[in-house]
Amino acid sequence: MAQRLSADFVVIGSGICGSLTARRLLKQGASVLILEAGPRIDRGRIVAAFRNAPRKGDWMAPYPPSPWAPHPIFQPKDNGYLVQAGPYPYPAEYIRAVGGTTWHWAAQAWRNVPNDMRIKSLYGVGVDWPLTYEELDPYYQEAEEIMGVSGAPNTGSPRSKPFPMQPVAESWAMRRFRERLAPGGYKVVANTTARNSRTYDGRPACCGNNSCQPICPIDAQYHGGLAADAAEAAGAKLVPNAVVYRIEHDAQGRIAAVHYYDPDKTSHRVTGKTFILAANGIESPKLLLLSASDKYPNGLANSSSMVGRNLMDHPSTSLAFDAEEELWLGRGPQSPSSINTLRDGPFRSKHAPYRIDFTNISQVLSVTQALIAEGVYGPELEKQLRYRAAHHVSIKNVLEVLPRPENRITLSSEKDAMGIPKPQAHYAIDEYTRRGAQVSKADFARIAKLMGGTNLRYSAEGQFANNQHITGTLSMGKDPRTSVVDSFGRAHDHENLFMVGTGVMPTSATCNSTQTGLALALRTAQHILPQREAGRR
Amino acid sequence: MSTTSPPDPSRRQLLGGLLGAYAASLIPWALAQPVADADRGAFAAVSALLAGRQSLDAVQATRLYDALATDDAGFPAAVRALLALINERKIDPFRLQKVLDAERSPLATLPRKIVSAWFLGIVGSGEQARCIAYETALNAVIVADVLKPPTYAYGVYGSWEKKPT
Repeated sequence: MAQRLSADFVVIGSGICGSLTARRLLKQGASVLILEAGPRIDRGRIVAAFRNAPRKGDWMAPYPPSPWAPHPIFQPKDNGYLVQAGPYPYPAEYIRAVGGTTWHWAAQAWRNVPNDMRIKSLYGVGVDWPLTYEELDPYYQEAEEIMGVSGAPNTGSPRSKPFPMQPVAESWAMRRFRERLAPGGYKVVANTTARNSRTYDGRPACCGNNSCQPICPIDAQYHGGLAADAAEAAGAKLVPNAVVYRIEHDAQGRIAAVHYYDPDKTSHRVTGKTFILAANGIESPKLLLLSASDKYPNGLANSSSMVGRNLMDHPSTSLAFDAEEELWLGRGPQSPSSINTLRDGPFRSKHAPYRIDFTNISQVLSVTQALIAEGVYGPELEKQLRYRAAHHVSIKNVLEVLPRPENRITLSSEKDAMGIPKPQAHYAIDEYTRRGAQVSKADFARIAKLMGGTNLRYSAEGQFANNQHITGTLSMGKDPRTSVVDSFGRAHDHENLFMVGTGVMPTSATCNSTQTGLALALRTAQHILPQREAGRR
Repeated sequence: MSTTSPPDPSRRQLLGGLLGAYAASLIPWALAQPVADADRGAFAAVSALLAGRQSLDAVQATRLYDALATDDAGFPAAVRALLALINERKIDPFRLQKVLDAERSPLATLPRKIVSAWFLGIVGSGEQARCIAYETALNAVIVADVLKPPTYAYGVYGSWEKKPT
């Protein structure tokens, strides 16, 4: 039977941004309803699913999609949910479940560098943000204190208060990178991560399980499941398996209700005073486009035609090589260190900036697969397996992509099992980003040389790995003609519709997007709170 | 399961009895291993030759054999044929794949299936792939002095700072 639900705030999406926005609003005594398309999932089952998975390098394997709320799956074959319009593939991975995609992130909780938000003014590329780094700083801090972020002070991102925690202890391998690269002028620093270096908020310090992706078995890293738990503990009503398929407006253009299907495809209507769209950088624009009406034939919040456009992510190219000494990647967390000195500079007028990231993911699986592919058997197999597991290392760039309207999410003519149009990705990697990749190859070569590297294996020319940092499709800006939401995440076209998540970011910068998306979400929550709360900061 | 007659407990076989001189010379440790029947014996021998290990777990061998034979009714016969080939032609395991590929042997896909089962714990491919072993797969066992399989704790906080020895 159809339910009729209502709340002061209706949040669509229970990921880290939606849930923590909800939690923030609840503190003021408002009623909050969270609608989540996917099911509830729990850590123990995910760990078991990983251990039993036939594809341990496929971090989506422990997260099978539900029939009513599919998400993109590419292994062992493409499930066809995220339709690829090309010209370049955009195989984004995300999770539709309570808690969202940060169930399997690497807990990289980076801040932008200040100039990331002024690249049009400073370098003549991309767009400027409608707010400054300094305005975002307190919300970055708030996000870091909620998640429990540890990090080093010298990553290029200034801060007015210290990190909640010291950096996570450095693995031997990362220490050797740091020591050997220093004479070459490369500063290797600890990554900024939502990973505990001590007990924090009732969760333990990291024990080096080396499975940050796809799941931390001990919750030493923060994730959206914890955010959803916190929202519910604070009083939110969370409805799982509620697939929102339409947002309804009234004659004045205010949002009046949302409609969702339960898994039996019974439709339910939910009313509210204020609506917060937090369904991620692909599902949120999909929902706005799906909600087209006579009054808004191009979809809601889309008078600018920018909904779904300016799709960005972080493509990576890489170099794998054999280090001179035994480093044995796989001891400690997966992604602990990086070089951050190439994130900004006048060169940004010519080519993409980048971070250089060192993996500490155990090489055992990949070297075993390679040896089997090569047909190495007998005593040599064990000998080679140990040698390669000890010596194989890999570095990658994290390249900025500029906002381009032709890179976009649209509605496909194909439909999912519920009869809802699938999202379709139109994507290309432009010369600006490709030039950045080319420049970074010189850094790769120098780093390999400093490590005494042999057997250098560059990723294939023109091939980029995707990093699942979906940004830009709901861009914020001052001008309603060129952006979807204002600097507080409010839709230019609908007074009581807000959007949170990484989709609102106008540029992608060079760091993982969750922390910036979350800081912007907390700023949105602060903005829409009753005025009595406004003087708190 | 094997397609041949079930094992007779009164006629306990040893692996050594199934091996030719060449194979026996490569895996002397295995000669006294009891085997249930000729098919499982051939699998134990080929597994030992391909893995190049000084021992293989008998229970895991049973589970892997059962899974491989379930996928392919011709598996037991193919394994016996491969063992015979290695024996007769004295093929070093290191060269085996190259020889099979060069000769376009119908047995060419067999070593990878067996080695994937032992070293990755995976039997089958694509949508049929399934995990039979993880912590006890040989790629975990071989590095167990230095690394834990992902999802298992390396040790107390910071224990990874030390040089691996």
